[in-house]
Amino acid sequence: MTTIYAIVAAGMFGCGLYMVLSRNLVRMILGLSLLTTAVNLVLFQTGRMRSGQPPLIAEGATTLGNSADPVPQALILTAIVIGFALTVVMAALALRAYRDHATLRSDEIHSALDLGDSAAERNDR
Amino acid sequence: MISTLLAISLAGSIAAWPLSKLFGRHAGWGLASLPAGLFAGFVGLATTIEAGGRISDRSAWAPTLGIEWSLRLDGFALLFCLLVTGIGTLVVIYAGAYLAGDSLRNRARFFTLILLFMTSMLGAVLADDMIVMFVFWEATSILSFLLIGFDADSASARRSALMSLRVTAGGGLALLAAIIMIGSTLGTYSMTETIARAPEIAQSRWIQPILAGLMIGAFTKSAQFPFHFWLPNAMQAPTPASAYLHSATMVKLGVYLLARFEPVIGQVPGGRDVLIAVALATMLTGAVQALRAENFKSVLAYSTVASLGILMMLVALDGPVAGVATVGFILAHALYKATLFFCAGNVLHATGLSKLRLMGGLGRFLPVTAAAAALASLSMAGLPPFLGFISKEFLFEAQIQSSWNAVPVAVAVIVNAVIVGVAGVVTLRPFFMGRGKVREVKHREVPGLVAAPLILALLGLVISLDSDWISRSVLRPAVSSIYGRPVELKVALWHGVTPIVLLSAIVVGIGALIFTFWGPIHRRLSTQSALHRFDVEHAYDGMLRALDRVAVRAAARVHHGDLRGYIRVVIAGALGFAIWGILASGAVPRIDSGTGAMNAGAVVIALTGLAGAVAATRSQSLLAAMIAVGLSGLVTALLFMMNGAPDLALTQFAVESLMVVLLTVMLFIVPLRAPSTRTPPERRWDAILSAAFALVMLVVLLDMTAAAPRNDVSAFFGRESYVAAFGKNVVNVILVDFRGFDTLGETSVIALASIIAWSLLGPRNALEARMGIRSGKAAFVLAFMSPVFFWLLLVMSVIILLRGHNEIGGGFVGGLTAALAFAIVSLARGVERARERLRLHPLTLASGGLLLAIVSGMPGLLVNGDFLSHIWIDTQILGVSVKQGTTLLFDLGVYIAVLGTVLSFLFGLRREAAR
Repeated sequence: MTTIYAIVAAGMFGCGLYMVLSRNLVRMILGLSLLTTAVNLVLFQTGRMRSGQPPLIAEGATTLGNSADPVPQALILTAIVIGFALTVVMAALALRAYRDHATLRSDEIHSALDLGDSAAERNDR
Repeated sequence: MISTLLAISLAGSIAAWPLSKLFGRHAGWGLASLPAGLFAGFVGLATTIEAGGRISDRSAWAPTLGIEWSLRLDGFALLFCLLVTGIGTLVVIYAGAYLAGDSLRNRARFFTLILLFMTSMLGAVLADDMIVMFVFWEATSILSFLLIGFDADSASARRSALMSLRVTAGGGLALLAAIIMIGSTLGTYSMTETIARAPEIAQSRWIQPILAGLMIGAFTKSAQFPFHFWLPNAMQAPTPASAYLHSATMVKLGVYLLARFEPVIGQVPGGRDVLIAVALATMLTGAVQALRAENFKSVLAYSTVASLGILMMLVALDGPVAGVATVGFILAHALYKATLFFCAGNVLHATGLSKLRLMGGLGRFLPVTAAAAALASLSMAGLPPFLGFISKEFLFEAQIQSSWNAVPVAVAVIVNAVIVGVAGVVTLRPFFMGRGKVREVKHREVPGLVAAPLILALLGLVISLDSDWISRSVLRPAVSSIYGRPVELKVALWHGVTPIVLLSAIVVGIGALIFTFWGPIHRRLSTQSALHRFDVEHAYDGMLRALDRVAVRAAARVHHGDLRGYIRVVIAGALGFAIWGILASGAVPRIDSGTGAMNAGAVVIALTGLAGAVAATRSQSLLAAMIAVGLSGLVTALLFMMNGAPDLALTQFAVESLMVVLLTVMLFIVPLRAPSTRTPPERRWDAILSAAFALVMLVVLLDMTAAAPRNDVSAFFGRESYVAAFGKNVVNVILVDFRGFDTLGETSVIALASIIAWSLLGPRNALEARMGIRSGKAAFVLAFMSPVFFWLLLVMSVIILLRGHNEIGGGFVGGLTAALAFAIVSLARGVERARERLRLHPLTLASGGLLLAIVSGMPGLLVNGDFLSHIWIDTQILGVSVKQGTTLLFDLGVYIAVLGTVLSFLFGLRREAAR
């Protein structure tokens, strides 16, 4: 089972990278979202998936019995939310870029490159 | 003592800015009191120096680096200090009158810069620690740059300023390298000690690079061939600065440095030869160019180059007279050349003319200037009874006494003859000949303009007539401090008829011929295209252009503007490092053979997630790709669920749902059809790269899972979670308590994202803000059911939040769930309805949540002295003991921050869609 999980996580990772390399901004963002999911899955496996029990202390007990590893879970929980925020910020950026340039191709959007270019600035005026 | 003088100089330079505005038109006279006072101070110290003493001043600066703030005043340094402060006084007076027509601000700037320059120049010659000297050395380069580019509106001034900075500061770097090599060879940066240990340094294996660095530093600063070209260009500076920096003081720093290091250079085979060769080339270049030059100031600049060549030659010569000649010529040249620059400035100021050809008969309008120029020229021509005569006598004596052959003597005769000719040309032609060429002048002479040249010119006469004090107190100690032992020095005007006097006579004779035939010589030389073509300045320009071309090409290659290219480099780099790390560790990846029981259902679910990811890469529609990616996300949530992580599953579900809501808004706007943006070969390469990365990832994962887990941290949390932090959901306790600070950081990241959302997607003007956001109609069922969903989700989110500490749930999931509630309302009844429900601005919510999370850490800070160490209160509600802690406040803050941020994106994206 461990091998299957490893294959799935690595596979999702590769697919995410492939999409991130696209020149379409939206596809790139979707790839980034996929990549964060894959990374979370990788992180999760550091806890070895040893038990199906959630890390809750049982009624009447004072210490944690046999359960899944709580540490990777705590890490992943915030990572999911941060990854989500990152994706949405990128989406907002892409949307504004599309509004301004009428294209989603990253190689056709040069606003940042042109910032230091005096020739381009002159043309703007 | 010396440090105090330096500190006064620095403080005075800085105070010059406000003071010059206060003094107004007479600022020059007022500010001159600073250099004059310093001059008096150095004169006062002269008696100590005369008695063979030297004044040192040292304190720690950076002891761990072996750098010491150490200054020393000896004879040679005193000579420079007197020149710097004495001429500085006159320069400040002169500048006050010269810049009278400029704005107050410009004058203030000039005074500040020129006095700062004086300070750095003093520091450079007083410093004994070579790192300290280097700092002041570079400061003079920078101030020279600022003064040459003083007229910042002029393109040629800017070009010249940059040129001088590149050459002199570049040479300064070579000097620094040499200094550091000396420091690491000898273990000291003290110049005195370095000179004392000259044989040791001459034997070291680094001596060649050390000498090269010292010489490049000195040659660039003292305008030696082939670095001389910056000096004539530096004439763009206002004339007082040219007189001060570019003839009297700064350009002599290179000579100063090599004169100090003469004992070292003398011990290295070929050391003197290099100096002589460079000096001769400089002398000849300066002489030829002085004859070709058209402008008053250019002629003076090139003759300065020639004089600097002479000085460099004198440094290279052996024998005790060479030192006397060096010191004498430094003094004589400073006096007459600064005078002539002042005179050139007066002509420029009075007539606006710069070309010598156009000047004539100015003696009638500028009588005092003409007199000063005549005196200075006589000294420059080396005629008795002027100081220039004495220094030229010493020059030839040094040459004859040295072990060198006749070549330097011959060159020196020719170059000195040219200098005689130039002296005549710059004085007789503009002031006394060509009467009537200039009919009127714009300004008459004023005291401030004539005081400086007249005093300096007269000094050139007075010193030679009564040389007792100066030779006893300044010149002899100066020579002694170069040589390291007392030297006999007899300054006298007449020694009788010697070979040296004959040489002088020959020089004057040829000089007179050059002056007579200056017109034809000047025309012949200035039309020589070969001289023009081989000008070093062209090489400099060519080098700069080549550098620009390389930079443009390199930038185009590295900074190409294709995001994919950058990301490829990042991925390939990360992959390379990962592979390198694996190979370097030499470990053979392990694979866990006993994988345990296969769960058929789990396998199918997992593979579905992988299929979703693959489908996302293949799909041509962005909508399909989003759904496919969402599928992978949901599968991940299921995998979390099945493996004992319901918290994660819940969060992932909420995120996936919100992602659909938010990303669909974007997909409404952009084209859904997205044909591939990559060519088939590009896709192939990307696939290979991604697959390679995935493969490495797989190997790493398999190896990791085959290893025995380290559970000490998890075990600690499991043990302490309830005992120490009163929580049964260990994940939640880690988040809000054990690692609360981390969570606070993450919460602030999320809260800050809301600001991005608002600045990117918020209302762009007041009208938009008032109008609100239009929305389309939703399906009837959804519209009808939305209040039910809203309240259901909202209540659920609060329950998730509240029970989070002991059961599944927590602030993050709670906030996301609450956001879902609003998302449903906005889908069903429009964003405006959702905003009405919210009542608060989402930004207020996000920042308020963050604030609450921070505040929740305060009680712990106050009670336990530890931020975010939570406080628990036991209360009895209806007879049941309920423990409540500040953890709940913290989690509530997280909840609110997450809600605010998600909503700011939700509203912002919907607003953007409605545009």
